[in-house]
Amino acid sequence: MQKHSVLLKEKLCEGCTNCVKKCPTKAIRVHQGKATIKEELCIDCAECIRTCAYHAKYSRTNTFLELADYDYPVILIPPSFYGQFDGIKPEEIHRALYKIGFKEVRDVAVAAEALSWKTKTYLKDNPGMFISSSCPVVVRMIKILYPELLGHLLKLKAPVEIMAESIKTELREKGLAEEDTALFFITPCPAKNTTIFNPMGIEKSFLDKSIAVDLVYQEILKVLDEEVNSNDDKELITNSTHSDAIDRDKITPIPYKGFSWGQSEGELSLLDDDLSKRTLSVSGIHNVKDLLEELSRNNVKGIKYFELAACNQGCVGGVFNVANPYQAKHNILKLLDEGKNMIEQDFSKYNYDLTKDLKAIQIDRLDSNMEKAMKKLIQLEKEIDLLPGLDCAACGAPDCKTLAEDIVNGRGKRSDCIFVLRQQVEDLADKMSELAHALPPVMRNRK
Amino acid sequence: MNEQEILAKKIEKGDFQAGGEASSKLKDLLRKLGVESALIRKITIVTYELEMNIIIHSLGGEIRALVSDKAVRVIANDNGPGIDNLKKAFQPGYSTASDEVREMGFGAGMGLNNVEHYSDKLKVESNADKGTIIQAIVEL
Ligand code: SF4
Ligand code: SF4
Repeated sequence: MQKHSVLLKEKLCEGCTNCVKKCPTKAIRVHQGKATIKEELCIDCAECIRTCAYHAKYSRTNTFLELADYDYPVILIPPSFYGQFDGIKPEEIHRALYKIGFKEVRDVAVAAEALSWKTKTYLKDNPGMFISSSCPVVVRMIKILYPELLGHLLKLKAPVEIMAESIKTELREKGLAEEDTALFFITPCPAKNTTIFNPMGIEKSFLDKSIAVDLVYQEILKVLDEEVNSNDDKELITNSTHSDAIDRDKITPIPYKGFSWGQSEGELSLLDDDLSKRTLSVSGIHNVKDLLEELSRNNVKGIKYFELAACNQGCVGGVFNVANPYQAKHNILKLLDEGKNMIEQDFSKYNYDLTKDLKAIQIDRLDSNMEKAMKKLIQLEKEIDLLPGLDCAACGAPDCKTLAEDIVNGRGKRSDCIFVLRQQVEDLADKMSELAHALPPVMRNRK
Repeated sequence: MNEQEILAKKIEKGDFQAGGEASSKLKDLLRKLGVESALIRKITIVTYELEMNIIIHSLGGEIRALVSDKAVRVIANDNGPGIDNLKKAFQPGYSTASDEVREMGFGAGMGLNNVEHYSDKLKVESNADKGTIIQAIVEL
């Protein structure tokens, strides 16, 4: 089974090792000149996609082609999506998506508003500190690198899953057959795409497909452009206003408040005063990693809740986005002024709770037997001492320490290090010259 | 399995930049040995407190960690000034954290109370001119 969504176009990879060095879980090695990702370590943070100047790292989602396979396709918009547009109203975006062919256009921000309410009560009822589990990259990073913090993850679903489950129920109640419907999600990142086929904390995702933000963005602009053009053409005006009227009826109330979730400090802003003062918002995967390291040694004080997002500035920083994260954040902040209150809804209708435990993924262990692991650990220390400690990555591993680990685990060899190799060649050359001079006595002085 | 030393790290007085290095390294090593994460958490917190204690309150020293299949023993050895520092460190209320914060598992401060809380056994020897040796044991 595929475990993650970040992939490599081998042809484009130059083996430069830039991504190898940037990867926060050290999941990448250059072997035979190509940057291969270790499945079990990839958390889909997309740092390698951002880093690679040759665009060799990429991620694929579904496309609009799949839309035709269903009688009743529904699309879910993440809050961050609205940050991609400047001056285009949320209603216009909904309308464009209806035109593209979706039977329902729904906002994840609706569930985000509900989840803000739930989070408040959860944090009041449960002693201890908690970490938001809405960014799947953060959850996976904790599972792999900080399993000791797993118990601190909020045992609540991400807004998109809460929303999707609730829509699925609605569709069933409407009498629609499961196979005729599909829930599409406009995904800002490879990680959300991964949760569809590799979910965490739930048995199965309630989403069916995802389409990357950039693809949807283009399509929406196309629809809106066509409208402008056809409006120039007088004859078509009646026609288009007619169909617009139908679409307008279907547009659900816009959950402006919930749009906050699309950017960093969004969750924080929807908690009440006392809680928001004890909430810390951190974004960017390396910042998040540093913070988790501090948390694991108990060195962050006075904080009850951590809103952590893998991407810079939150989901507006997701790698599939089109707008610059700061611009997108600004666009969202502007929209927040449009709605003074949350939309009216019954918060108790949602299923918030995770239904499965979040388990550690153990990858570091040198051996399942502690005594053997200890032997390997001692060997590892020796290997580290043998390497030059330059962390140049020419061996294809991110640093000398990691090459040493690969050697101990049988996945690398000392001569992968160019300095060790050079030394070996030099030693060999010395030996050869020594041998060349070591002629048998009878041969000496004979020319 | 016989006890093995897996970590020995010099700690300079006042070297805040290096604060946390010993505990992070130890955490990494224990994960490689396959020690359970809940225990690693305890050991990491204990080690961090001990190394910060050396950085802040002593003239410098060393952190060592020894592992057997039964326990992890963290030894903090400093070069003084000894007992005074210790009395202060164990004073009730010396730690700045409130009960609520402590319950959150956070902020128990630089107090050795915290080390005591997270370790299964704690041994302290202090000598006015020779410095202090603190041994914290977490059973596996
Ligand atoms: S950044 Fe990684 S994927 Fe891109 S060329 Fe360099 S090694 Fe290859
Ligand atoms: S912060 Fe980034 S990786 Fe995390 S859910 Fe948002 S867009 Fe995806």
